[in-house]
Amino acid sequence: MALLETRGLSKSFGGLKAVSGVDLKVQPGTVHGLIGPNGSGKSTFFNLVTGVYQPDPGSHIEFDGHDITNLQAHGIAALGMARTFQLLRLFSEMTVLENVMVGNHCKTSYGIVESLLGTSRVRQADQNMKEEMLDLLEFIGLANFADIPAGELSGGQRRLLALGRAIAMKPKLLLLDEPGAGLSPVNVDKLMETILGLKERYELTVVVVEHILKVVMSTCETISVLDHGQKIAEGPPEMIKNDHAVIEAYLGRELPDDEIRNAIRGQ
Amino acid sequence: MISFITNFASAIESLAKIHRLLPWVIAYILLLFLPNLITATFGEYYVDLANRCCLFILLAVGLNIVKGFCGQVTVGHIGLYAIGAVTSALLAQNYGLPFWLSAPLAILVTCCAGLVVGLPSVRLEGAYLALATLGLGESVRIMIAVTPALGSSTGIMMIPAPTIGDYVIESFDHYFYLVMTAAIIGIYFSFVILNSSTGRAFKAIREDVIAASVSGINVPFYKLLAFVISAIYAGLAGALFAHMPPGYLHHNNFTVIEMVTLLLMVVLGGIGNIWGGVVGAIVVTVIYDQTKDYYFYQPLIFGITMVFLVVFMPRGIGGVIEQAIVKRKFIEKHEEQNLGTS
Amino acid sequence: MRNWTKFLAGLAAGGFVLSATAALADEIRVGITMRMVSENGQKYGQMVMDEIGLINEAGGINGHQIKATLMNDECKSDKGVANANKLIFQEKVHLLIGSTCSSVSLPIVDVTAKAQVPQIIPHSTNSQITQKGSAWVFRVPVSGRFYAGVNAKYVGENIGKKIAYICAADAASQNDCDAMQAQMKSQHGADPAYVAQVQEKEVDFRTHMQKIKSAGVDGIMVAALAETMSRALIQSYEAGIGTDVRRIGSSSASNAPVPKISGDAVKGVFYAAAYSNADTRPIAKLFNQMVKDRYGIHAPDHDFSQAYDLIRIVEIALNNSDLKLTNSSLAADRTAIRDAIANVKNYQGLASGPISFCAAATPQCRDGNKTPVLIAYKKGGEAFETEVLARVNMPEDFGL
Repeated sequence: MALLETRGLSKSFGGLKAVSGVDLKVQPGTVHGLIGPNGSGKSTFFNLVTGVYQPDPGSHIEFDGHDITNLQAHGIAALGMARTFQLLRLFSEMTVLENVMVGNHCKTSYGIVESLLGTSRVRQADQNMKEEMLDLLEFIGLANFADIPAGELSGGQRRLLALGRAIAMKPKLLLLDEPGAGLSPVNVDKLMETILGLKERYELTVVVVEHILKVVMSTCETISVLDHGQKIAEGPPEMIKNDHAVIEAYLGRELPDDEIRNAIRGQ
Repeated sequence: MISFITNFASAIESLAKIHRLLPWVIAYILLLFLPNLITATFGEYYVDLANRCCLFILLAVGLNIVKGFCGQVTVGHIGLYAIGAVTSALLAQNYGLPFWLSAPLAILVTCCAGLVVGLPSVRLEGAYLALATLGLGESVRIMIAVTPALGSSTGIMMIPAPTIGDYVIESFDHYFYLVMTAAIIGIYFSFVILNSSTGRAFKAIREDVIAASVSGINVPFYKLLAFVISAIYAGLAGALFAHMPPGYLHHNNFTVIEMVTLLLMVVLGGIGNIWGGVVGAIVVTVIYDQTKDYYFYQPLIFGITMVFLVVFMPRGIGGVIEQAIVKRKFIEKHEEQNLGTS
Repeated sequence: MRNWTKFLAGLAAGGFVLSATAALADEIRVGITMRMVSENGQKYGQMVMDEIGLINEAGGINGHQIKATLMNDECKSDKGVANANKLIFQEKVHLLIGSTCSSVSLPIVDVTAKAQVPQIIPHSTNSQITQKGSAWVFRVPVSGRFYAGVNAKYVGENIGKKIAYICAADAASQNDCDAMQAQMKSQHGADPAYVAQVQEKEVDFRTHMQKIKSAGVDGIMVAALAETMSRALIQSYEAGIGTDVRRIGSSSASNAPVPKISGDAVKGVFYAAAYSNADTRPIAKLFNQMVKDRYGIHAPDHDFSQAYDLIRIVEIALNNSDLKLTNSSLAADRTAIRDAIANVKNYQGLASGPISFCAAATPQCRDGNKTPVLIAYKKGGEAFETEVLARVNMPEDFGL
């Protein structure tokens, strides 16, 4: 059974159909790639699945046996879905440790009233959580910066922290939105290594949106391709590489030289 | 200066290691002697001033929870203060309830009102939220102004002072023990909240609503919770204000001007910084009192201060100190790391 | 670390300077708290200070100088109470003057009663001020209870019984409005034809005016502060309510901005007051001239006259008190001043009637002026003119 399944997933903004009728299945334990040219609806897809946007009527999203179509973001998160953002969206005035602790929010073992009264149980639970989160920071290499505001970190460190915050949720499914954006090729490789390490360590299923095709082709078991909000191809990397529709979507229609010259001259 | 503060902070931390509450107990005991000290050096009027400082500390700390921690712009806080004050006053006057009953009931009523003031925050942000809360806060005042049962224009008079047995808490220094205790407890719980999962949820909402919600934080719920908690502070401050001799309430104590003064305290002290709010409340109250003779220029000075603060010191006094401490830590961390690798 | 100790030392030194300024022996300390937010407010605050300065220049009171401290309460009770506390406990004043606003004077009455400091009120009219039973409070102006009676008497007998009311939410206006309605009921058995509760600084009265117009009333009472009242008056004419419907003002109709802002709309408006600048007595003419020369005020209203009368009464009382003026005699001196003020009888000043106090802590004793005068505007604008309609001596327990 698929961990995440969408049926007829659609979203339009005004007249524009950002995502239309996407059926997608993510098998547990896999790394699933999601690619497509700019504006093809990849980020919208993520936002729909994680409850940031409400899908259009007729859509259906199922996650780990729950119908999450109309759930709000925090409810979906509580079911075990975590994500990162292309623009990271770190809590930059909060410390590195606090950032991952927020990620761990759903696993808080005490109630709200208790948290307001500061009972000894709260202090104990927070202490345990802190130790656990410091372990996680140790693993991703940020333990030394635990009490520094996230905004003071370097670019690479921030990407790691964003990842750490998502992992802190102890999710079943991790959605990564362009994790390698803005990193040098060497660092991208390192990051992918960390991601795969985390996947093993926490037994995750991963969906990754990525522009750098090399990354997707080398790490993903299955790749889905979106174009203009529609799924145009799906399969293992070898198949996608040779799919005609995919090449066209990415490179555009091949044009003879004459036609290009004319287009530039405005004729 | 910064090194003094960090030394001071580490001294307090080592005290806290012996027992979590030790620094608070010590501070409380020291503050018990404050009225005597103030009376001896400045005169007993300054105990009255200290009482007003404590009220504003409660208000500023409460406002900081909703505005500083949770990042929700509210201009309705003074309306909650008014509700707390009027409710407690009326319960004491009309039903003869003692302060110890009327104040908790007033806080309860204020909480419900806080929920109402917070409702727009679920849908609105920034300036729109400010406008909505301003409207709610002002309508409370107008309601009081036109309803004879709520005091209307004559105000509510002769609100009884709190009593313990036969003893009436009405002198400046005895009232100080009451408001100071409330302020200390208020500050303490503000720290408890800030350091709990609830406090982290508030801050996460302030930093990034979307990231907070996909991290599993029920954003509307926590926003409302922040408003309700701040309402507890406002209600308590209101009740303490109502029963403070001479026990008189009038709706013109709850205007937008008071709200702006309150905002100035929080902004001057540092938005989102608990001690900043406390310092801001004290500084503004004392300066306002000491510059009374220049009443003609006061509004002008306050306006200019606000503008300069926002432009040159957006994080206020607390923010500047905090930043300096963070810088220090950061440099230390880097040095450590460099030493470790070389 | 060193900076910090320096700062503390500075703070302590500052404290000593502050405490040193208080409690100088051998001078009479007078504290004043007033609403100093408007131009007029500042001018009569200034007049009080100037008059005290003149007394000092002329040799003071029995050789003692008066040290006056003036504070602004912005017409806010919390600020007023803070001022009173500061004046009483920090400046250790022998006498407190204030406030101008009823909502500020009301709580200060409790403060002065508890601290046992004589308080004399320049122009708060709310009748409850003297009904609290404080032995330490004196009121120079005419209490609201007399105003209501005299207005209602005149209106019922000369204008009619169908009256519409526009009542603003400030303390004085609300009090005037409620009292007028109660008096119309008790004197003439007349219920209000229309009542509109409006904001203290309401700007739009058109809907109310249309309703009043269609109700066909004999008169409209506009109870509001000066600017608000002026707007209401102008809009009443804009709404087409004719001159046959008389406009009745509340106590603040006497404030100079009313005729200035209202212009011709003020013609015929009458109000009960404690002073008429159309008064032809020499003392009034001299006073009008003095205010004009010193403060550029064309025709001083009763706020000025009452502040002036107050200082004269204070002067008389202080001259008649046996004051020790040492640090230990503070309580005795305060009592002496209180008793001296209570002994002021039949003071004939600018006010519409004689001002008398007595020892009992009752409104009969402590509401000094019991003779309101009815004044009507003959002409609006900068150079407005007024005339006296009637001067009514009220029984001392009227409206209690």
